[in-house]
Amino acid sequence: MTALLRCAGLHKSFGGVRAVQDISLEVAAGAVQAVIGPNGAGKSTLLNLLSGVYPPSAGRIEFEGRDLAGLPAHRRARLGIARTFQKIRLFKQLTLLENVLAGFHIHHRIPWWQYPFPAGSARADRARCHDEAHRLLAFVGLADRTDTRAGSLAYGQQRMLEIARALATAPKLFMLDEPAAGLNSAEVEFLLGRLNELRGRGLTLVVVEHNMDLVMSVADRVFVMDHGEFLFEGPPAEVQRHPGVIAAYLGAEALA
Amino acid sequence: MSERGRRWLGIAAAVAVIALLPVIAQGSAYWHGIMIICALNVLLAISLNLVIGYTGQLNLGQSAFYGIGAYVTTVLVQTLKWNFWLAMAAGALAAGLVGIVLAVFAFRLRGHYLAIASLAFAVITYQILINWVSVTKGPLGIYGIAPPPPIALGPVTIAFTSPANLFYLVAGIGLVVYVALGNLISSPIGETLRAIREDEVSAAALGVNGKLWKVFAFALGSAISGLAGAFYPGFVGTLVPDAFFIIESFTLLAMVIVGGMGTMIGPVIGAVLLTVLPELLRGIGDLRLLVYGLALTLVVLFMPGGIVQAARAIWARVRPARAAPGTAS
Repeated sequence: MTALLRCAGLHKSFGGVRAVQDISLEVAAGAVQAVIGPNGAGKSTLLNLLSGVYPPSAGRIEFEGRDLAGLPAHRRARLGIARTFQKIRLFKQLTLLENVLAGFHIHHRIPWWQYPFPAGSARADRARCHDEAHRLLAFVGLADRTDTRAGSLAYGQQRMLEIARALATAPKLFMLDEPAAGLNSAEVEFLLGRLNELRGRGLTLVVVEHNMDLVMSVADRVFVMDHGEFLFEGPPAEVQRHPGVIAAYLGAEALA
Repeated sequence: MSERGRRWLGIAAAVAVIALLPVIAQGSAYWHGIMIICALNVLLAISLNLVIGYTGQLNLGQSAFYGIGAYVTTVLVQTLKWNFWLAMAAGALAAGLVGIVLAVFAFRLRGHYLAIASLAFAVITYQILINWVSVTKGPLGIYGIAPPPPIALGPVTIAFTSPANLFYLVAGIGLVVYVALGNLISSPIGETLRAIREDEVSAAALGVNGKLWKVFAFALGSAISGLAGAFYPGFVGTLVPDAFFIIESFTLLAMVIVGGMGTMIGPVIGAVLLTVLPELLRGIGDLRLLVYGLALTLVVLFMPGGIVQAARAIWARVRPARAAPGTAS
């Protein structure tokens, strides 16, 4: 398999805090790559570096063989990189439908004059986007809430809406930052089904997650970080046996 | 009725109201004047609402763009003998270009900080109008400004020395701008601007270039205000910097808030109300400003979403059987 995403020697410091240190990672096209580690391990920082929220202090990121240095987040989205946020960032005052519609930003095909004076192509585009948005909302189990304001959704539903909105960009690489955080077991089960469905469609996933059950059942490879540094990389079965990983999670005494 | 059907019905109703108003005014120069100011204020309020209400950029400097449109148009016509319609386009364009400068501030400044920067920008513009005497004639002002030249439509010549015709012209432009802007807001561009208003970081994650779209909103909003400015001097006959003092910015903001920020019809209602209300209160003399201020305070206290939101809430209660009313669009 060829690598869709490749990063080498990534560093990020905030003031004196080294959030990410010398991280190198390759994600194969079509693979599900989990990123795990204790709180403060630098997982979200890594995701922010990959998606372009802020630039790395050092290191290189390539997507489809293309160097992403200096490319802002909105340009990376155009290349096919989508993401969700650990701390949910929905358009709270907008409806579910409007949230997903905003996700089609890079895919509209309308001549400029039809924005103020809509005619054929604007109406066709609108119909197409509405159909697709309803389909995506149905995919995450929110088909019956399209006109609800996003801010009034339950927590778990907000996480699912964020997934639908990101999928509207039709990404090649989809990065989820703790998608199961705050979800009850039924919701985790549903999420797992959706992630497997996306994997089945050939979408490449990077999943930052704490929920080990989810990681073990969805991931092809697991990347473990601790204190901003690389700890281990391998298939899920090996991670659970790795002494360093157990030490990082349970404390060094657990091994003694 | 379909959405398109309702839209055309709304346009037809607006055309009817605009056509009938001068008839109702029965040749009163006073009321014609108020109607023209109403139409100009509608243009200004909907343009400010584009920036504040839809894009979420707290801009307290809109009066500056009104002034730039007015001065650029007038100086081009008076001093350089330009054709009025060409000068009008130049005035709107100039305001739009200066709007881009303010948008650049909005790249880095948010909320209150942008509010202060835009306020300072309006103060600077006002000071330039006062002090650049060789071009603007300073505080003395420019006098003897003619209304727009007549338009010949075949055998008919429409003269804008008639207040009714000038009203038709400004209100007609206002209607076209309103419809075009309303379509824009309902289009994917509207979704993009509201996404920036709600959360710029996640908008960027969807591929939205926040800087570019802020420039778009500021440039368009400023150009529309500049367009309104082009018609103001020809109506009043004189042009002084005081017409574009920062108080004007706050009045425009009040119109947007009272009517309903982030809705299309709200600022129109606010603009008409806050233009006509002070005139109706003239009878009570100095008490007028007190009543006006009190009314403003009460609206903000009890209808924080403005008149449109309050009306929607009442409508939802009166007609609970119907599906929930559409959200702000």
